[in-house]
Amino acid sequence: MDILIKKATIIAEHSSFHLQQMDLLILDGKISKISTNISNTIHKVIEADDLYVSIGWIDLQANIQDPGFEHKEDILSASKSAAAGGFTKIVVSPLSEPVRDSKSQLEYLTKHSTEVVEILPLGALSKGAKGTELAELYDLKEAGAVGFSDGKKSIKNPNLLNRALLYTQAFDGIVFNFPHTDEVACQGVMNEGETSTMLGLKGIPELSESLMVARDLNILEYTGGRLHLNSISTSKSIELIAKARKDGMFVTCDVASYNLLLEETELEDFDTRFKTLPPLRSNKTIKALIKGIKNGTVSAISSDHTPEDVEEKKKEFDHAAFGIINLQTSFAVANTALKKSLSIDQIIPLFTNGPAAILGIELPKIEEGSVAELTIFQPKKEFIFTKEQVLSKSKNSPLFNRKLMGTVVGVINNGKVALN
Amino acid sequence: MEKLSTQHLLGIKELSKSDIELIFSTTDNFKEVINRPIKKVPSLRDITIANLFFENSTRTKLSFELAEKRLSADVINFSASASSVTKGETLIDTVNNILAMKVDMVVMRHPNPGAHAFLSKHIDATIINAGDGAHEHPTQALLDAFSMRQELGDLKDKKVVIVGDILHSRVALSNINCLQKLGAKVMVCGPPTLLPKYISSLGVEVSYSLNEALEWCDVAMMLRIQLERQGGDRKTEVKFFPSLREYHNMYGLTMDRLSKLKKIPIILHPGPINRGVEISSEVADSEHSIILNQVENGVAIRMAVLYLLAPGSN
Repeated sequence: MDILIKKATIIAEHSSFHLQQMDLLILDGKISKISTNISNTIHKVIEADDLYVSIGWIDLQANIQDPGFEHKEDILSASKSAAAGGFTKIVVSPLSEPVRDSKSQLEYLTKHSTEVVEILPLGALSKGAKGTELAELYDLKEAGAVGFSDGKKSIKNPNLLNRALLYTQAFDGIVFNFPHTDEVACQGVMNEGETSTMLGLKGIPELSESLMVARDLNILEYTGGRLHLNSISTSKSIELIAKARKDGMFVTCDVASYNLLLEETELEDFDTRFKTLPPLRSNKTIKALIKGIKNGTVSAISSDHTPEDVEEKKKEFDHAAFGIINLQTSFAVANTALKKSLSIDQIIPLFTNGPAAILGIELPKIEEGSVAELTIFQPKKEFIFTKEQVLSKSKNSPLFNRKLMGTVVGVINNGKVALN
Repeated sequence: MEKLSTQHLLGIKELSKSDIELIFSTTDNFKEVINRPIKKVPSLRDITIANLFFENSTRTKLSFELAEKRLSADVINFSASASSVTKGETLIDTVNNILAMKVDMVVMRHPNPGAHAFLSKHIDATIINAGDGAHEHPTQALLDAFSMRQELGDLKDKKVVIVGDILHSRVALSNINCLQKLGAKVMVCGPPTLLPKYISSLGVEVSYSLNEALEWCDVAMMLRIQLERQGGDRKTEVKFFPSLREYHNMYGLTMDRLSKLKKIPIILHPGPINRGVEISSEVADSEHSIILNQVENGVAIRMAVLYLLAPGSN
């Protein structure tokens, strides 16, 4: 489809049009012209107040259990949610059923990938994600794995991480870990703090995360290699990662957008929709995370999209599943949380260049003649998110009827367009 | 008739000070009733109450059942271990099935914190919390405060220390809420591993020394060491303290400790007692202990709560 985008501010650091308000003409999947005023002939026109355009966004953490739990989410419904949320690439966790620890499972994913949203699969780090033996990492890489991870199953055995970080250096692989020490978290269900004390719920201390971050960084210092830490949610972790980066280690991290907006006090009513992992933290921790974004320690924001059916959520708090659906809302959540601290041209790289650098992938540019992989959005537009808008097969969002700022108009990728 | 400001009794947190005062004045009336030769009143005739115990209980269940019967309510009892429920039917389904038999009120004990708050959003009956995990046990806190008040009068500025396993205790949390609403000062005392890290955020004092706590207080409430919770649920879990012997040496209330005090506090225990662990038999059976008064008051407090919350009662 040919499209004319009118009067959009371009956010693309490496483009000569960065921060300029321009018209963009998209023909045959390419940016055919960028100019101050392109006259409309027969093209579909996108025109709106405070319109922005950037390179298509990347999400680093979509937990889609297809195959296995297609009733919660399948690749198609996830792709629709992702496109509606402004994403043109999503990194998918290997924890399906069976676990994606072999070539054929990755091929299933990429085969079902839609054109407008590309699926970037992670391969399982260990066979069956059991945390004991390395999966065939090279084979997975050849089949398209952008990195290796056991998803939310943190790497318990330090020697497994040691071997993985060494082994992957032969082919520039990236090891992902979600730092969470089970023995310290001790079956906790929310952040350990004032609220958990008041509610009598078992707390997950920040220590359970930072302890594993410290261990992982120690190992990384010894092995070399590339490590990415998912869903960082404590100030101590930020501190440790900042120091490691300063010391020249190849470590990156992301923060889940909900950890920037929602506080632990949301749980005061035992509302399981707010039960997440990492858990919602204190206001003080949120400030530290934002500081970590500002100083560059955190280079990406992820959705940590985790679809769960009503049976898993409508339960006693202790028994309810962790996680929220967030592909559709991740940008708005982050934008709402960050709008006072960062400008929009500082927020967008957390969805574009930041994750691209982590994955080591090259993005197209916003220049005349380049491939059009674009997200069109209105960062200043407020909206109320409702259940009716959900495109995911699951409805476990804590954000219904909440006012958020930042809407997505649509995405363009591989010659296809998805408009909201 | 005066009413409570809440529809359910989910926790002390939701009650106002005047709610607590109303429960106490109603309890005074019922205490008089249960000391009559004919102990039964018709207040809750035609009201059906289901006692749902998803966790073991002896005294709380008996106390509620007796209170219900003294008020002439129709009573049904249901006991299930939480594990058998998690295997199949959901909590909402279980309770709705029972409610379909036309039950007006539900008294429930459940191992998961917030189970009552959760249920109150999904079912249509008055819910009384008889203990939810480490969250609240409101009728216990009410009977404790009522018993203290009998001994000390107004609890404003009275000093109460709660000793033992605060981490796993719903009694501690409800008592902290209740005593603070009545103006008392609260201290918690126990081994650091059994005190929640952020407990002082609730406005309580914290001590690791039992002698220091006993010097400070007017009332000492000894909590039961919940033997079943000390080993953790998994093999990898580390115990909270090395042995019962050592616990007793550090935090056991003995006559020897009491005899060294200038002023001996009033001793409470929510029961059941582990004699020789948190409290010695000599202390438990002494004149300083009001443990059996607590049990007696428990029935009257529960009668008051049931009466005040019953739909259309008069």
